[in-house]
Amino acid sequence: MFYEAFQSAINDVDGSIDPKEIKEAWIGSLKTGGAQLGNLAPLLIEQVGLAGMPACSIENACSSSAYAFRYAYMAIKSGICDITLAGGVEKMNDLPRERNRYWLGVSGDVEWERLAGTNFPGVYAMMALRYMHEHGMKRERLAEVAVKNHKNGARNPDAQFRSEISLERALRAPMLAYPLTVFDSCPITDGAAVAILCRGDLASKYTDTPIRVIGSGAASDYLAIHDRKDLTTVAAAQKAADEAYKQAGVKPKEVDLAEVHDCFTIAEIMAYENCGFAGKGKGGELIKNGETEIGGKIPVNAGGGLKSKGHPIGATGVSQIYEVVKQLKGEAREKTRQVKGAEIGLTHSVGGSGGSACVHIFRR
Amino acid sequence: MTSYVSIPQYSNTIDQRYRLIAKKCKSCEIINFPPRQTCLECGSADFQNVKLSGRGRIYTFTIIGRGGAPTEFDDLQNMTGEYAVAIIELEEGPKVVAQLTDCHSNPNEIKIGMEVKAVIRRLYEQERIIRYGYKFKPIADG
Repeated sequence: MFYEAFQSAINDVDGSIDPKEIKEAWIGSLKTGGAQLGNLAPLLIEQVGLAGMPACSIENACSSSAYAFRYAYMAIKSGICDITLAGGVEKMNDLPRERNRYWLGVSGDVEWERLAGTNFPGVYAMMALRYMHEHGMKRERLAEVAVKNHKNGARNPDAQFRSEISLERALRAPMLAYPLTVFDSCPITDGAAVAILCRGDLASKYTDTPIRVIGSGAASDYLAIHDRKDLTTVAAAQKAADEAYKQAGVKPKEVDLAEVHDCFTIAEIMAYENCGFAGKGKGGELIKNGETEIGGKIPVNAGGGLKSKGHPIGATGVSQIYEVVKQLKGEAREKTRQVKGAEIGLTHSVGGSGGSACVHIFRR
Repeated sequence: MTSYVSIPQYSNTIDQRYRLIAKKCKSCEIINFPPRQTCLECGSADFQNVKLSGRGRIYTFTIIGRGGAPTEFDDLQNMTGEYAVAIIELEEGPKVVAQLTDCHSNPNEIKIGMEVKAVIRRLYEQERIIRYGYKFKPIADG
């Protein structure tokens, strides 16, 4: 899987690149279900034929490979490397169901939160219910996020679920953790993603349409949700986005599209607010008015999001970057999914219930 | 298969799980529960013990659907099916995550703002030791 993603990245370089030109790699993974895969990065790099290259595994829950990308970017900015690789991989479907339930949900507080009996849907469900309580948002808004992301995912050949769903179906689906149904949740996914980064002034050697990283923000927060003052926002994502915007020198309204971390539908609503696309408590209005659809004011998750494209935990951060880069280059594989004329794109990645977050902004 | 909290590690938290002993910050006086290395508000590491009343209100809640519980709670789900988990805002200030007990796991019967109090219940079993701790039950008639 990782080899396929790697080959696809190499082949995707408009000019040509010798893989040996890559100087160092950072690879995100939650270690595929505790499958005894310590020291994963050297194994993966060796399997793509680059044994000997420095390679480092990054584990930061669901934002692992967004952080891998950040470090690959920082290595170039520091002047140490000219070309780096950021990737991620997760294999979740060949684990027994029991093992998945054991393994997932340890990216928040274990001792006082999980071992009180909550799972991850439960944590986001409690955030959703509080959000609905404080801001008077209806459950329909959550279901509309699922419907939109399935609609986009249906047009993405790389998506796990390529079928549209109706609002009715999303609302009537079995409850996973009240008020969230199975359609409010991302699936269990196998996947890998690879990005190759290059020093800006050397990029013209490889492509005529370089996509530049113009902002990289990251932040952390209290791991346990009971230690956070406000459950209707992801404070780490807000900080990460603020920092990325500051570096990029752009405003939220200048962003043409965003891939955000919709592990649960409520997370996408909060992401609208944390990325500055909507005011606090106003995220629901954005989806209600269709502004985050392809063709809307700010298309979000044109690739289908975690909801429909899938959420292979360690690979998700870079897979969001892949989608944004493709969109900015005007190369979304199916034309109906292409956001026309997009020049600035944003990726928003959240680890666990918001313990870590990482936001990147890109410009064509 | 369960996430691992050793018996000594669990024993170290008996004061919290059975008796709700919290840490009051000597610098800013806010109450930290569960205990932390440094104060949530001001970062100080200087605390004194205080006992909480165990009374509070539901801040938010969820109902964990059948078959979805963390594996530690398989026994519980086999016995009760769905169960409710809430964040409780204690009257002294701190918030805790806990199961609701002695009530129906029905979203129409549980309300944000409802008054609850702590009781000791069986949480889960690990290494053949039953782990007890607090759950919260509604206080009848408010």
